Amino acid sequence: MSLLQAILIGLAMGIVFGIALEKSRVFEPGMIVGQMQMRNFIMLKVFLTAVATGAVVLAALHGFGLIKLAPKATFFAADVLGGIVLGAGIALAGACPGTVLAQVGVGYRDAIFTLIGGLFGAMAFSYAEPTLAPLLLSGGPGKLTLMSFIDLPYWMLALGFAALLVVALVGLEKWRPWRADLGADVDGDFAPARRAAETSASRFKPAE
Amino acid sequence: MRACTLRDRAWSPYVAGILIGLLQVPAFLLIDTALGASSSYVTVGGSLAALIDPAVTQIAYVAKHITPTAKNWWQVALVVGIALGAMISMSLSGARRKAISPIWARALGTSSPTVRYLVAFGAGFLMLFGARLADGCTSGHGISGMAQLAVSSTIAVAFMFVGGIATAFLLLRRI
Repeated sequence: MSLLQAILIGLAMGIVFGIALEKSRVFEPGMIVGQMQMRNFIMLKVFLTAVATGAVVLAALHGFGLIKLAPKATFFAADVLGGIVLGAGIALAGACPGTVLAQVGVGYRDAIFTLIGGLFGAMAFSYAEPTLAPLLLSGGPGKLTLMSFIDLPYWMLALGFAALLVVALVGLEKWRPWRADLGADVDGDFAPARRAAETSASRFKPAE
Repeated sequence: MRACTLRDRAWSPYVAGILIGLLQVPAFLLIDTALGASSSYVTVGGSLAALIDPAVTQIAYVAKHITPTAKNWWQVALVVGIALGAMISMSLSGARRKAISPIWARALGTSSPTVRYLVAFGAGFLMLFGARLADGCTSGHGISGMAQLAVSSTIAVAFMFVGGIATAFLLLRRI
């Protein structure tokens, strides 16, 4: 695989990824902040569907011996701390490291600042990595997976996990249909407070 | 149920999620890696930093990410493609976006663009510092790691939601 081929494949896959992120509306800040405030569930639906689909296709590819899995090593403190800081950043950005590029693509200007902040954050970590590695990123139990605890092949466990996710998604959709979370401009914006503020500002205070 | 077209403004989250999940097939078969996004920030950031501070390439972590391997630059191309795909998709649907989403005036309690830009910069910083510490983001840990039933990814994603929900309730106003 030449570098040029890898870049062309990456671009083509990214375009499909970007279309999926845009059409599902999950890249909208309103969807991400709405999810983190537990009043919009489109992010969770896209996310869990992608996980379930990935589990099914990887179960097939791995079951037929076509691929090797590449789970990441477990470092409890780094996974917990990194996860919390990442989540705080996602809520304040209204984006994930991948979806911020979709925001830049559709012309959200604040996303350019998120992107630049992201480059600085990645470099700050890189400079700190030699110091942090012995504290947080060494030792640990290695590449733990569910197969470390249950003695069954990956494909079986992955299909079981995907089935559980499908059941959860069916329940989630029954409880809260996805169209209800789109908003009039399909950006997860429902604007009750804004309308109320504009109305009260343009009128005298109503008598009590 | 009618078919999804590129002119639609919105697709079902399930159609989009399946499409994203299927991208694991070319990722694993052609590039021998899983979908991910946050390493590309080290590849690009490290390459840029090396122009100002050549000593940065002495850090093994940076050297590993800026080496011109298929995997490193495939991911950079992937995130560039995300921007192109979203741009194409939105222009085909005919939707238009303001410079800043209308939710931010409510979430931040001010419509000042400067405040939003500062918060966005800080948020991007936290997001990538955290993702690199955890060794993955919503894509690498979330979509790919959980599909591989990795313990590290399940922990990172659970705490990503803990951090995100706590921040959204404590620091942001109701949108």
